[in-house]
Amino acid sequence: MSDLELSVAAQETGREKLLPARWLWSAILPIAMVVLVLGFASFDRGVLSSANLLNVAQQTSYLALFAMAQTVVILTRGLDLALGPTVSMVSVGTALAMAGAAATGHDPSAVLLAGLAVGFSLGVACGLFNGVVIAMFKVNPFVATLGSYNVAIGVATTLSSGRPVQGVPTLFSQIFYGGSVFGIPAAIAVTVAVGIVLHLVLARTVFGRSLYIIGTNPRAAAVAGLPVKRILITTYVLCSALAALGAIMMTARTGSGEPNLGGALSLQAIAGAVIGGTSLAGGRGGVGTAVLGALFITILSNGMNLTRVDGYVQMVVLGAIVIIGVLLDRLRLERRL
Amino acid sequence: MSTGLIAAEPRSATDLRSIAGEIGFLPALLVLLVAGMSAVDPQFYGTVNILNILRNASLLAIVASGQALVIVAGGFDLSVGAVVALASVVTAKTMATTAAAFPGNTALIIASGVAAGLGCGILVGLVNGFCVAKLKVSGFVVTLGTMSATAGVGLMITSGIPVYGMPDNFVKGFGRAQAFGLPTAVHVAIAAILVMVFAQRRTLFGRYIYAIGGNVDAAVMSGVSIQRHIVGTYVVSSLLAALTGILLTAQVGSGQASFGGDRMMLQSIAAAVIGGVSPRGGVGRVEIVAISALFLTILGNALNLLHVDSRLQPIFLGVIMVAAVALDELSRRRKSGV
Repeated sequence: MSDLELSVAAQETGREKLLPARWLWSAILPIAMVVLVLGFASFDRGVLSSANLLNVAQQTSYLALFAMAQTVVILTRGLDLALGPTVSMVSVGTALAMAGAAATGHDPSAVLLAGLAVGFSLGVACGLFNGVVIAMFKVNPFVATLGSYNVAIGVATTLSSGRPVQGVPTLFSQIFYGGSVFGIPAAIAVTVAVGIVLHLVLARTVFGRSLYIIGTNPRAAAVAGLPVKRILITTYVLCSALAALGAIMMTARTGSGEPNLGGALSLQAIAGAVIGGTSLAGGRGGVGTAVLGALFITILSNGMNLTRVDGYVQMVVLGAIVIIGVLLDRLRLERRL
Repeated sequence: MSTGLIAAEPRSATDLRSIAGEIGFLPALLVLLVAGMSAVDPQFYGTVNILNILRNASLLAIVASGQALVIVAGGFDLSVGAVVALASVVTAKTMATTAAAFPGNTALIIASGVAAGLGCGILVGLVNGFCVAKLKVSGFVVTLGTMSATAGVGLMITSGIPVYGMPDNFVKGFGRAQAFGLPTAVHVAIAAILVMVFAQRRTLFGRYIYAIGGNVDAAVMSGVSIQRHIVGTYVVSSLLAALTGILLTAQVGSGQASFGGDRMMLQSIAAAVIGGVSPRGGVGRVEIVAISALFLTILGNALNLLHVDSRLQPIFLGVIMVAAVALDELSRRRKSGV
């Protein structure tokens, strides 16, 4: 009700007056980031060194990938708690497949292909499970992905016996971690490419637009004749496939399959998306919000690490930031509508 | 959604089928599990094992019943695990400090520790409730934030090292003691669940929470104060989590920031959901959640006794959880189809 009054009021004040305010709201996060970087730099010059900036960019690219994956499902009012365990499972599966293929004497390219195939299949399988349970059985996304969270953890630790899986070929790490495109490290290049494609999909394709419609008003989407179930299943598969891609790149970085690689990633990715301005109520957000949120979290934790803020204090700060971020978003929503 | 309201009406004998429908398949599964395990492994019904199961189930049941209340009102409380840890640490630390200041005054030491532990719970609950109800922020994100912050504070206080220095009366006389052949945690859990059942069924607070979870707009129209009741659910949830933290501290004999954690949080949600609390809100009863907590604990215990690889165990939990909710949804659809 109050939303309606506000929207009427907003129309009366006129569009021109709102524009600066709107610009200011969308600039809050970038401004906060600049302030943060300058603040940290005043404590430690190392923050601005090119080595550290490259490091931040690389770290951001992993988290941004996961935040993008999370954003895709959040747009439809969903959520993927299983993202972290999926990452662990894919990491272990990829490493085992490659170690197995290498041990049986296949040539290097076949070994790599085996690893990628197994990794992506595991990711897609997890996404398919989530999507089917959520779309066909109408199970709440939180509960459904909490279920697959447990299953994926079980699979990851059982396959690996809880230990890192060795035997990842060096070629794999050389390509997906050490490699570079036009001098840009592989992780950053992949994330930028995925980001551009995903942005085009979300903004320009029928599939992408229908995610926003489903998130804004699921009933209207169904009444309008959208194949909601099929779209939802595709969404969760896309989310898990992106998570699998991130998992493969992280596995290349560590050089082994890690059953604990996913750890707190589910919640970190959600936090990244939400801080960037993706709405958990669905229908609002995109590649930009995911990348922005991921960048903010990475800058914050990188700066706190360099200025030697206690790890436990960092947890408290991150928690507070998540709440403040959503509060600001709430305020912004009320002003705009 | 209307199940909650129906539950308040006096039942006639003809309603027996609907009672069975409400309780569901959980008790049957529980009996099956217990009977099967007793046949397979005599160790299962040994006194040590049964007391062990009851103790663990009590702790989970207390947290899960608070979680259930939040879910019935339409939210989620991700911070319960962290509150267990914080309450444990704060209780132990306060007792140690008070003991240093007033040596020998056991009553004061215990009272101050317990009060401080429960106080932490209430504080976190108030923050959660305030952000959700007054500031209208999604409960998921708020409790995600307070989870991280609360866990961080717990670790900051202790630097990750267990806190000792609690009076013997608290540890040996309460935490590890037994009354009428049962550990004290079981008595506390039974009392807490009875209070929660009473609150859910017979108090306005409980009834209004069903109304809010079932249909917020209708509740507003009927003049229910939404904000106060939502704050109430988060406070009760955190308070019960803090109580669990204190019980765990008394039992182990030290305050540890590693208690509770994500595992306890996820298990409490699993117990609530398997116990028939609908994540859509408006449906769910605490006594069945308690049975569900007992079921989950026995299941874990059974898998251990059968030497099922502990790494495989989460798979069982995940599949059972999804299956329980999927079955619930299917039966709901069939009912509405008729």
